[in-house]
Amino acid sequence: MKFSIRSIFISLIVSIMIVLLLQIFLQFDLVTSSAGSFVLNINANSTESANAVTSVVTYFRGFDTLGEVTILFLSIFGISLGLEGYRDKFNIFAYENSLLKIAVDTLFPLIVLFGVYIIIHGHLSPGGGFQGGVIIASAFLLMFLAKSNDFSLKHNILELAESLSGAGFILLGVLSILIINRFLGNFLPLGKIGELFSGGVIPLIYIFVSIKVSAEITSLVEYFIRIKDVK
Amino acid sequence: MLNSLNQTPFLHGVITIGSFIILMIGLIGVLTKRNLFKIFLSFAIIETSLFLYFIGMHFEVGKTSPIVSSGVKTFSPNMTDPIPQAMILTTIVIGIAVLSLGLSFIINYFKLTNNMRVDEMNELGEAK
Repeated sequence: MKFSIRSIFISLIVSIMIVLLLQIFLQFDLVTSSAGSFVLNINANSTESANAVTSVVTYFRGFDTLGEVTILFLSIFGISLGLEGYRDKFNIFAYENSLLKIAVDTLFPLIVLFGVYIIIHGHLSPGGGFQGGVIIASAFLLMFLAKSNDFSLKHNILELAESLSGAGFILLGVLSILIINRFLGNFLPLGKIGELFSGGVIPLIYIFVSIKVSAEITSLVEYFIRIKDVK
Repeated sequence: MLNSLNQTPFLHGVITIGSFIILMIGLIGVLTKRNLFKIFLSFAIIETSLFLYFIGMHFEVGKTSPIVSSGVKTFSPNMTDPIPQAMILTTIVIGIAVLSLGLSFIINYFKLTNNMRVDEMNELGEAK
């Protein structure tokens, strides 16, 4: 690795800029009363969800989460426009390990089960739809790495799951407009805090989000690991 | 001695300086590297520093996570702010989406031109 005069000069300028910015940022004080303390006050009565972060993501800012899922969908759509289709593509990298090839059949259901556990306990413990969806996608990544070209995704099931979960998310919002006159509001019985069936509409939203995220990240992994004309 | 280090202003200073060092690493990577792939990964490093700063500055010593569990029975002001954590959750997902879209653009550009270096781009026909 060689250092040119240009890179040393740029590093020096960036360092001076950062040190000047630091002097401003180190003087910030913490605000004691914020929107967060208000949310914590009303969370126990309005959602009955044990995890306040989950209730902010899916209930107080549920519309924002819909936009976030849309951005994820649009980026995957753009990637699939640019790269070619999934036919006649081969892995660019795989582990040629027979032990892993046998063990992955046992590991795959366990990782998926762990992801499902993270998803359905999203309103009780740390975790939720996005995290559990990525865990399920990591199980598919392990299958791609271990089984190389023997493993193929069923694309019609993947597309069906992805589109149905997105439609279900919007259907929940429209239903709550019809019933209680608020988009993505809570029209189900709230239950008791700390139980699995509590939080009203929050676990349902997270289940839809998790199906969408896991399908999208799985197809993303396939787009990046399989390329044409490589064998 | 360790108790004097476990104070909120000291930890905020450590988090600020640490996240700015990561920001510096990412900025230097963006400005000095010529490989498109490395430039985009440097953007990902800059994002990480922002996540660390945003979450870390809303942490205070003695506060619990905003989750009711067996130890903590009710929601109280003695919990950390849940809103920055929820916003960073949103930001991480959007960061993944944008980074993967950018990387796919780079792959397509490499397939079309067989070039991945910024200083050798000449698609608009400028004089060399």
